[in-house]
Amino acid sequence: MSPVLELKGLGVSLRRGGRDVPVLDRISLAIAPGEMAALVGESGSGKSVTALAVMRLLPEGALLAGQILLEGEDIAQASESRLRALRGKRAAMVFQNPLAALNPTRTVAAQIGEVWRMHEGGGRRAARARALDLLAEVGIPDPAARLDDYPHQFSGGMRQRVMIAMALACAPRLLIADEPTAGLDPPRARQIMELLARLRRERDMAVLFVTHDLALVEREADAIHVLYAGEMVEWGAARAFFAHPRHPYSEALLGAVPHLGQARLRSIPGSLPEPEARPPGCRFAPRCARAEEICGRARPPADVAGNTVAACFFPLPAAARAGLAAAPAPPRVFPPLLEIKGLSVRYPAPGGWLGRRRLAPALEGISLTLGRGECLGVVGESGSGKSTLGRAVLQMIGYEGEMSLEGESLARMTPAARRAARRRLQPVFQDPRESLNPRMRVGEIIAEPLRLQGGLSRAARAARVEALLAQVGLSAAIAARYPGAVSGGQAQRIAIARALAPGPALVVLDEPGSALDVSTQAMLLNLLKDLGRRHGLTYLFISHDLAAVSTMADRIAVLRAGRMIELAETAALIAQPRHEYTRALIAAAAPGP
Amino acid sequence: MMAMTARRLASSCLSLFILVTLVFFMAHLTPGGPAYSILGQKATPASVAALNQRLGLDESLPRQFGLWLWHLLHGRLGYSYLLNRPVGQLLWVYERNTLVFYALSIFIGTGLSLLLGLAQGVWSGRWPARLIGAFQLGFYAMPSFFVAAMLILWFAVDLGWLPASGITDLRDPHPGLASFAAHLALPVATVALFTAASLSRYFGEAVHEELGKDYVRTARAMGAGPAAILLRHVLRNALRPLVTLLGLSFPYIFTGGVIVESVFNYPGLGWLMWRSALSQDYPILTAIVLVIGILTVLGNLLADLANGLLDPRESYE
Repeated sequence: MSPVLELKGLGVSLRRGGRDVPVLDRISLAIAPGEMAALVGESGSGKSVTALAVMRLLPEGALLAGQILLEGEDIAQASESRLRALRGKRAAMVFQNPLAALNPTRTVAAQIGEVWRMHEGGGRRAARARALDLLAEVGIPDPAARLDDYPHQFSGGMRQRVMIAMALACAPRLLIADEPTAGLDPPRARQIMELLARLRRERDMAVLFVTHDLALVEREADAIHVLYAGEMVEWGAARAFFAHPRHPYSEALLGAVPHLGQARLRSIPGSLPEPEARPPGCRFAPRCARAEEICGRARPPADVAGNTVAACFFPLPAAARAGLAAAPAPPRVFPPLLEIKGLSVRYPAPGGWLGRRRLAPALEGISLTLGRGECLGVVGESGSGKSTLGRAVLQMIGYEGEMSLEGESLARMTPAARRAARRRLQPVFQDPRESLNPRMRVGEIIAEPLRLQGGLSRAARAARVEALLAQVGLSAAIAARYPGAVSGGQAQRIAIARALAPGPALVVLDEPGSALDVSTQAMLLNLLKDLGRRHGLTYLFISHDLAAVSTMADRIAVLRAGRMIELAETAALIAQPRHEYTRALIAAAAPGP
Repeated sequence: MMAMTARRLASSCLSLFILVTLVFFMAHLTPGGPAYSILGQKATPASVAALNQRLGLDESLPRQFGLWLWHLLHGRLGYSYLLNRPVGQLLWVYERNTLVFYALSIFIGTGLSLLLGLAQGVWSGRWPARLIGAFQLGFYAMPSFFVAAMLILWFAVDLGWLPASGITDLRDPHPGLASFAAHLALPVATVALFTAASLSRYFGEAVHEELGKDYVRTARAMGAGPAAILLRHVLRNALRPLVTLLGLSFPYIFTGGVIVESVFNYPGLGWLMWRSALSQDYPILTAIVLVIGILTVLGNLLADLANGLLDPRESYE
């Protein structure tokens, strides 16, 4: 069967700082009808550039080399008018963050119908009927009632389904999905993945699935292409790849994905090279444990074994992936630090003139005790109230119920005592860049809590900042930089250093790794775990990723719709979940087919 | 939506009351008085006192204010001291002229802004956008009376194509539509150019910003051409700042720029306000401020309602 999409030696150069910088080299792949190929890589690997290059949607000034064959037609140099006829009709694309990727001021029926009318002609009514069919096909409940809704009226997962319906409007032969599950919690991400897998079978459509999440594509993808620093490092059949990855990078990347009950994650030393500073030989060589002298000099050959190809001089032997040693740590005993009794939070409803209306509680009746030195994981889907719990513990929002830190009720403290207590409760937020003031230097950011605490000279503060940076594995030189000039992983380390600065009793980690790449997240979770053990830190670790939480937490609390439905030791929770919902979460987080 | 409108109107009534109170007292507390304007600078104190008594200006200020409010509640705005005609009737005559003048100006100015802004957004950073930028900055920097005077010099004095001032030819007993149009041409051009200079800048920036958004990339990925992207997707999203600004400039549509109306000697509300302020004709002055206040409130409300229609997220909780 002839492939729907074939890339032959695709190369892309983008204009960066007045020069043409090659960001993608020698990408070759083929996708047959009904096949799902996963393009996997971390941010900066060039995976999104590949996807945009196929649609010819690269920014102005991009240079293309090689061939892009869409059903046999080379579109690498096709004219804009020819491309307009192809886009949406024979090849369509689904983007990440559908809230931004859909027009906020047009109804979903109008947007889906527009694609269809643009390519197939046809009237308004026919387009509406088509939109209705498509919404039903992608699994929107009661689609007829939602035709005239706007994108913001849908939930995250449903919005992505609308986006998919739009892409399917003209029954394209090729569907490109660029991180379609980014920002969705694992069960919803899995549902989107399953939807795409079903659609490609039913419609015999080729799918190029671009993602950084290996665990997500493990079940459904037919072929895998791993990208590193703009090059393909390993590719071939998905089953063979997951059974025994042969490129050291693929192997490390797979090891960095958290699995349920795993005690420690693999992290990769060093960081991805910038496109301007890529090493001449194997691009992974500087970070590779198996690298030898030749790796730094020459381009590695494509080594074929079985159904996969690895571009490596010294590929790993085709042995089965090492089993995940899930030796549960023995339960530890902690003296109580924070006690929460009957905690409820209600957010006031917007509007309301006479007497404020109140919404259903975001949290209700939460009681738990957090031990000194313990890591308590909090998991739940979006909207389950887990971030609200974090904010209430940080005393950032009003709450009902009782909360006491080391036996002292926080609500009954004097304002001054309460402020002092709040300094002992420190947060680390999800998006490290958003949570660091871009106009302050890194050193000032870390020193700010110390300055607020008072009692330290300027020199003493500087010394303390340096010590904190060393603790989180950063050099002291970074203190002079601005947050804009550091990488995402570094930014999150800085946020951790800031949280540790005032010597907190409790650190609330609100999705600390979800904005990061897999290998960066692994590095970060390992770091947090080490810091916790070394300094006896207490963590409240909030995340929608049960697997990630299970690698760190001593106990896990499961939240759903504002209530705590289960709280147990990590090993016990995974082995014997008592609640139906917990079982579903565990199933969604479990690896493999 | 209805509840929001009612709430906004209710809270505006208070602002209007405060505004009118302030203006009433500020106008009455200024030295001099309408008596001198009516009787001339050489009037004797006795005649001034007699006139003040006749006009009721010898009463205490709070009493005058209470009386004025009482009449307002009955729909009476009083009599102009100088022109000796009911204020309501005067307002209507002058307001009609202003209405025509500014409605035309804003209409043309907005159309011009849309064209310029779209061009500026699409060609952002290239020479057409820079040219438009230069035009915007130029008009933004120039005082309106200067531009008005230049237009009069070129088109009325040098070329003699258009009349320099007034609303119609006074010598013509039955002026036609063409006469009105010729007299309107220069003032309308002045105001339209100034409106377009600032409005198109905001709109152009909004267009440029919207063009960089993800949904535009989506539209391109679905095969939409540049025209479809601009008209079907970008326009509506980029209109919001324009509508807000238009709402703020709404009161000018009726009151007129005092300056432009006086340069062109155009008998509009702005001109009337200027004359009344000079002669301390309190009833007219306070009434005009009241009208401006009401129009400001209405303009903002209209802009909010229009934005609610443009953007479904506005009215959604």
